[in-house]
Amino acid sequence: MTRWLLSRTAGGLLVLWAVATLIFLGIRLVPGDPAEAIMGGPGSQAPPEALEAARVEYGLDRPLPVQYAVMLGNLLRGNLGTSYSLRVPVADVVGEQLPGTLLLALLSWVLAWILALGLAVLTSLARGPRWRRVADRIGSGLEIVAAAVPHFWLGSVLVLVFATSLGWLPPVADDTAAGLVLPVLTLALPLAGFLGQIMRESLATALSSPFALAARARGESEAGVLLHHGLRHAALPGIGLSGWALGSLISGAVVVESLFARPGLGRTLLNAVTARDVPLVTGVVLVSALTYVVVMALADLAERLADPRISA
Amino acid sequence: MTTQRRHGTTRGPRLRQLAAPAAVVLASTLALSACSSGGTAEGGGEPVSGGTLVYASGDAEPTCLDPHVGGNYPQALLASQFLETLFTKDDGGEIVPWLATGAEVSEDGLTVTLELREGIEFTDGAPFDAAAVKANIEHVKDPETLSSTGYLAMAKVDTMEALDEHTLQLNLSAPDSALLESLSQPWVAMMSPAGLERGMEGNCAAPIGTGPFVVDSWTKQQSVALSRNENYTVPNPEAAADPEHTGPAYLEGIEWRFIPESAARYSALQAGTVDMIDNAQPDTIVAAEDDDAIEHLDAPRPGASNRIELNASKAPFDDVRVREAFIRSVNVDAAVKSLFFGTAERSYSVLSSVEPMGYSDESLFAYDPEEASRLLDAAGWDERDAEGYRVKDGERLSVHLPVSTNQSVPAEQSLFQQLQATAKEAGFEVTLELQDLSSWYEALGAHEYDLVSAPYTKVGPDVLRILFHSDSTVPAPSGYFANHAMVQDEEIDAWLEQAASTQDEAERADLYEKAQRKILEGFYVLPLYDQQNHFLYSGSLEGVGATTAVATPTFHDAWLAE
Repeated sequence: MTRWLLSRTAGGLLVLWAVATLIFLGIRLVPGDPAEAIMGGPGSQAPPEALEAARVEYGLDRPLPVQYAVMLGNLLRGNLGTSYSLRVPVADVVGEQLPGTLLLALLSWVLAWILALGLAVLTSLARGPRWRRVADRIGSGLEIVAAAVPHFWLGSVLVLVFATSLGWLPPVADDTAAGLVLPVLTLALPLAGFLGQIMRESLATALSSPFALAARARGESEAGVLLHHGLRHAALPGIGLSGWALGSLISGAVVVESLFARPGLGRTLLNAVTARDVPLVTGVVLVSALTYVVVMALADLAERLADPRISA
Repeated sequence: MTTQRRHGTTRGPRLRQLAAPAAVVLASTLALSACSSGGTAEGGGEPVSGGTLVYASGDAEPTCLDPHVGGNYPQALLASQFLETLFTKDDGGEIVPWLATGAEVSEDGLTVTLELREGIEFTDGAPFDAAAVKANIEHVKDPETLSSTGYLAMAKVDTMEALDEHTLQLNLSAPDSALLESLSQPWVAMMSPAGLERGMEGNCAAPIGTGPFVVDSWTKQQSVALSRNENYTVPNPEAAADPEHTGPAYLEGIEWRFIPESAARYSALQAGTVDMIDNAQPDTIVAAEDDDAIEHLDAPRPGASNRIELNASKAPFDDVRVREAFIRSVNVDAAVKSLFFGTAERSYSVLSSVEPMGYSDESLFAYDPEEASRLLDAAGWDERDAEGYRVKDGERLSVHLPVSTNQSVPAEQSLFQQLQATAKEAGFEVTLELQDLSSWYEALGAHEYDLVSAPYTKVGPDVLRILFHSDSTVPAPSGYFANHAMVQDEEIDAWLEQAASTQDEAERADLYEKAQRKILEGFYVLPLYDQQNHFLYSGSLEGVGATTAVATPTFHDAWLAE
């Protein structure tokens, strides 16, 4: 277990370092002067004195290797720097925006699991091979549609139906629980489609496997077989995909937070990229990467607990 | 829906205008066009005090609420609620005093004496006086403020001297006939000196001004909360929209939200979540026409019109015949009509229709493919290749148009595609490239364009000097230059310089007209329409329509009907 933890930590740090380096290089490959970004965006017509002042203030007048070393040193000390565009410490911005995005991602993730498992179980309840095939087709059809719709389109349609036409829910996110419903649905439905596809298949495999047959032969009820043997197997690939799911939720959050005017990390990232705000982009991406590393480790752990075949 | 639209070319803009009760004033200053149902009547009775206006902005959230820093339109929109300027524009487009009471210019034009209004206080209790104005102009000119728009506007102010408590003398490095116009822009609005002394961080978060509202708090990526300035008095009621209403605003506060998505803004307005939205796009405006509960405010921005500039510094547009041929070959009117659904009026001027000194010549811009063909033949582009494009010396007549997706709204991008299609018939190959803002500026800086559309907002015709003087073809250290058409004409330079320094209004108008005529007749630009600035608001919001000199709405007279 200690070795597992050590190797996980080392791997995580390596990922973070690679991410930081890639952003540092990548953002300098795109055209545009960072000093311009500080001065309120490209083509700001900032006078040369002001541009020079900005360069000195943010250390942009120093050679690239020095800037890189300074950035790594700051990161090691946990200092994410100051945002060019917002002029406040990046850690503060991330600290402010992270909880909202995590809440959105977590709720969407839970809802996606409920929907995916629910649909998988529902279709597995069909009796007889013919009904089973029909239920499978319907379930799989729904999942493919859900998985294929882009967040932007889905969100717009949900707003049109539930906010504009029916007036049940607010069209833009507010602080109420009702304001969370549409953003969460927009994020959860496509993910549920993906997860459902995988889970239903492994659930079907599990329920027709020898150990399920043996359980039935022992006299266990169909519900018991489902609960004790089926779900555990169905969940395994889903757990393994948690890291990927998180990635999809974060990239989805960029769209959903903009669409529903909900503050959060996704929207921060979008604004930061448009403004060429190097420290903020670095900060947001690093925090996302860190979350990813942690979730992957947790998923790994969960997989070990759910599947005794993987030894510690 | 009712539409309010300003007719700048005929009467000049009515910029702090009466919006609600007086029908006579309305009829003379606004064109009220009833769209579908004859329009809802303006003036919903006696103004009611109280309530919070929820405003949804589609512009990028400012990174700093102090419009001295940087200086863009989103900042001006918001700052117009809590900051005021020394001068403003009246309904005739004339510059009139606001926080100032007047200005006197010396014979040589090098000394401007500003008389300031007495008895005005900033919302922190500090007096508005000569020292405060001096501190503000110094703040704009200080490189550490990182000002760009205000910095350019105050470039000619050299030194300042407070003659007494309410008199400030500005000593200029060169005469500047645009100085008072510059001082009417929110980018040089007045803030409390104590507020400025807090440094950039504090002042960006909550600038302290004299305006009808005060910044309470700012929740990043969500909203700015403004509350009523209980001690507010209108500085110059004669120039105000409602001369009778001189006390504090009717609204208790404003919640200024940021909703970047156009469709989300409109659904929020329909659902009643917000009371007013900006950046309304043509499709939304047309959709709102069928909705009696939604009103429309059309406030074109001052400065330049939206136009396509032709890069005259390199082939093929270094030949005036080819420039004219391009302009004659594109069917702008048809495209504007079909893509903007009548929400944008075609312009034939390089200046906005709200600029009284704008000069317009429709005859130069008629769609005439035959003339285009004749001109191209004459210019030596008399062969066509297999794809139908014109060829000269084995080279195809190909022009490049980089398009900024930040600056050009979707309807404008579609417009460029339609122009591309009509230009093809004449034998022009127009290559369109959609770019993000940084790459677009990079392309301009590297001269990788033959055609380009770049908006520019500034109060007054001095914008011509920025856009068409040969000095503006020289890139700033940032690589930016504003004269994209690369107009390098000694005569135009001389006229624009004279116009900027003369104190004689008639002479100034004459010089600007000469310069504009020569620019238009040189086919350096293809004017499209005014810089679009459309607002939609709920029918229960009354008293809307007053704007600042840069066409940003103000809400001192606005009130929410029950």
